[in-house]
Amino acid sequence: MTRKELQHLYWRAGFGMDHKKANTYAKNRKSVVDALITDSNTVTPLDIDLSYLDGIDPIDLRNHPSLAREITQKGRKKVRELNPIWVQRLIDPKELLRERMTLFWANHFVCRDQNPKHALHYNNSLRSFALGDFRAFVKAISKEAAMLKYLNGKQNRKRKPNENFARELMELFTLGEGHYTEKDIKESARAFTGYNHNFSGEFVFRERQHDDGSKVFLGSIGRYDGDDIIDIILEKKQCARFISEKVYRYFVNPIPNKTHISAMTDVFYKDYNIEDLMRFVFMSDWFYAEENIGSKIKAPVEFLVGIANTVPVKFERKKDILVIQRLLGQILLDPPNVAGWKGDKAWIDANTIMSRLKIPSLLLNNALISLKEYGDFNDKFKNQYFKRSKDKLPFKTLPNWDAFLENFKSIETENLSEIIIQGNINRGTADYLKTLSKASKRDYCVQLMSLPEYQMC
Amino acid sequence: MDRRKFIKDSALASSLFFVPSFVKAFESVATEKLGYRRLVIVQLAGGNDGLNTIIPHNNDVYYNARPRLAITKDIIRLNDNLGFHPSLAPLRSLFDNGELSIINNVGYPNPVRSHFRSMDIWQTASDSDEYLQSGWLGRYLDAHGQKPYNAIEMDEQLSLAMKGEHFNGIATNNYKALYKTAKDPFFKSVLNHYNDTHLSEHNLGYLYQTMIEAKSSAKYIYEKTKVKLSQQDYPQNNFAKQLKNVAQFVNSDLDTKVFYTSLGGFDTHANQQNKQSRLLEQYAESISAFVKDLKRNETFEDTLILTFSEFGRRVKQNAANGTDHGAANNVFIIGKNLKTAGFYNNLASLTDLDTNGDLKYEIDFRSVYATILSKWMNVSTKGIINSKQEVLHFI
Repeated sequence: MTRKELQHLYWRAGFGMDHKKANTYAKNRKSVVDALITDSNTVTPLDIDLSYLDGIDPIDLRNHPSLAREITQKGRKKVRELNPIWVQRLIDPKELLRERMTLFWANHFVCRDQNPKHALHYNNSLRSFALGDFRAFVKAISKEAAMLKYLNGKQNRKRKPNENFARELMELFTLGEGHYTEKDIKESARAFTGYNHNFSGEFVFRERQHDDGSKVFLGSIGRYDGDDIIDIILEKKQCARFISEKVYRYFVNPIPNKTHISAMTDVFYKDYNIEDLMRFVFMSDWFYAEENIGSKIKAPVEFLVGIANTVPVKFERKKDILVIQRLLGQILLDPPNVAGWKGDKAWIDANTIMSRLKIPSLLLNNALISLKEYGDFNDKFKNQYFKRSKDKLPFKTLPNWDAFLENFKSIETENLSEIIIQGNINRGTADYLKTLSKASKRDYCVQLMSLPEYQMC
Repeated sequence: MDRRKFIKDSALASSLFFVPSFVKAFESVATEKLGYRRLVIVQLAGGNDGLNTIIPHNNDVYYNARPRLAITKDIIRLNDNLGFHPSLAPLRSLFDNGELSIINNVGYPNPVRSHFRSMDIWQTASDSDEYLQSGWLGRYLDAHGQKPYNAIEMDEQLSLAMKGEHFNGIATNNYKALYKTAKDPFFKSVLNHYNDTHLSEHNLGYLYQTMIEAKSSAKYIYEKTKVKLSQQDYPQNNFAKQLKNVAQFVNSDLDTKVFYTSLGGFDTHANQQNKQSRLLEQYAESISAFVKDLKRNETFEDTLILTFSEFGRRVKQNAANGTDHGAANNVFIIGKNLKTAGFYNNLASLTDLDTNGDLKYEIDFRSVYATILSKWMNVSTKGIINSKQEVLHFI
């Protein structure tokens, strides 16, 4: 594999290549992809201290409304704490591909919960199924406490069905719009009646609230329960196509290619094995085609994690990690609605583009993007500038430039753009880059990260 | 850049994915002004308790349902049945002058009682079981926007309401800081070398264009805004600051059709009285100062202010001297020359409630939007409001 192909693979399957390991990657594609997948065979769940819930049971909360309020407030705070923990995991993952897939599924099975225990459980379920059996995955999602709350599954009862989950199950999670009728929604909602969870978040099936009658669904009839409905949906090849297209648009190119998606669909439909699907994508020649490299606008979290992968940076205040996500329009665990983030061009507006262009210098270089053309820069000025601006910075960070210089020591500053930027550089900008002094690898890195081109991967 | 040349180039380069409305975002020169009328949105976040805002002071059901929370003292009676919360005193003159229209019982079918989701519904103008990824004002921009500054949100991030399918407004709580960022000499150098060859690359071209638009919008807002104009005293709070900035923009004649402001904290589950009273005071005093500021500059006539909250609250108070999430609520329209000033309609029955014990809606919030779009902004609601809505007669 060429360096360019490796970089492409690692931007899509991860958040950029690890340059300190640049020489240890295998030479041929199969070994690289095999290693990528094998390294993700294990699952390392996220963890957060929830001891404040110890010994509290639902009866206490019912009897003491003020305690209940306190617990709710603490919970919200905990969910906010979970966010930087997840971001940190993405920066330093044990199972790279698994973490990348978890992020993908989080914007597919979109859910939001203010209860940290349930939110954490949900997030870890995404993680453990991320490369597994899609069938088991959907069934598990339908029984998650967070999802039962988010799409009103627990309010779905025999006498008073609630269609919210059934509708989104088909529209957003499995088939896509136009592949089922309103009648199918009504019938399948009945099959999911009786689904509920207990205080700690475990699934509970309430027999008495379940509608055991027969349902007519997608052309078949039976006394279906929720799992049966999911099985029937997955029999439709459209389901494999729907997921394949979404995977393609996320991992390959935001502009779909029918031929490639159709090939993916054939692979996926066989047994809905996610790992096999991803292996097929990463092994395909078309994945490495010129038109796919640098074709995607980074999501805010990809952008942020990518920066930290190139220049290790420590956030002195965890809340800064949240502030950056808010500025850029993607706060993990806090999606806009069940349709998730629209992605691609929707990430970019007048505000977010300016923030993106400015953030690398804010995080790594005290807000300074050097203008040094042919080395006319004055170090004294630089020191004064840093002194002056240090207190005014919106973020408190400790960038580790020594580690950067060590990791990139084999790369000539002149060639840094090929490492930092994926895809082509606009000609005018390339001309401008030629005029820049490349005396400092650090300054040049910040300059490259402050370009529109850096938004692409 | 020559617009015609761009259209030609990009049509050739990517005719397959050519979307006409996408090109709107690329226009570098606004060809005409959008008209002089402006809309200011005020979002009361958290679910304002409408019943303690516009009080049914003559209704025993109200007092019985809220033994400790009902407002009994200093109600500002507006008619035999309804009156203002005492904190709304600064709005009294607007009411008397026929510059305020109160629309009762605004909501939507199958109300959702989650803040988050209900706000989403109000901002996207969707049905309660429909999930849209663009906002109603954003879709207005899709059809009519020319520059990001045609719609400004007074915050550091843009709400979904202001995001279109292809076109977005701009958010700024500090337009000077925005200008300073955009002015970074490095960006200037990059754009000096900018040429349009990259337009063959779909997404990268979009990034450059948005960067240019952002820079020129920041410059436009900064240079066009005349700071000295405002001689009006505003209260000292963040909401008032937002409105003061809006007044500056309006009075400086920025080509902005929509301004979005927000006041939060209305989620009063416990000890509601003081909290709500303080918030309503902030709201009323700030709005009153804002209207005076506009009047002084003769811009009030061309400005319409819409105040809404994502839901009202339960008729019955709870055990913690607060109220829980409800459904239908009142909406305020403030402007000159209103067709139906005062109360647009009567308050819904306090006994004929929905199964949760909440007010039933009578007017769909989207018909309020549709009315504003067609009668105030003078545009068709097609493509902006997806469901068929009755046009009301408050303007």
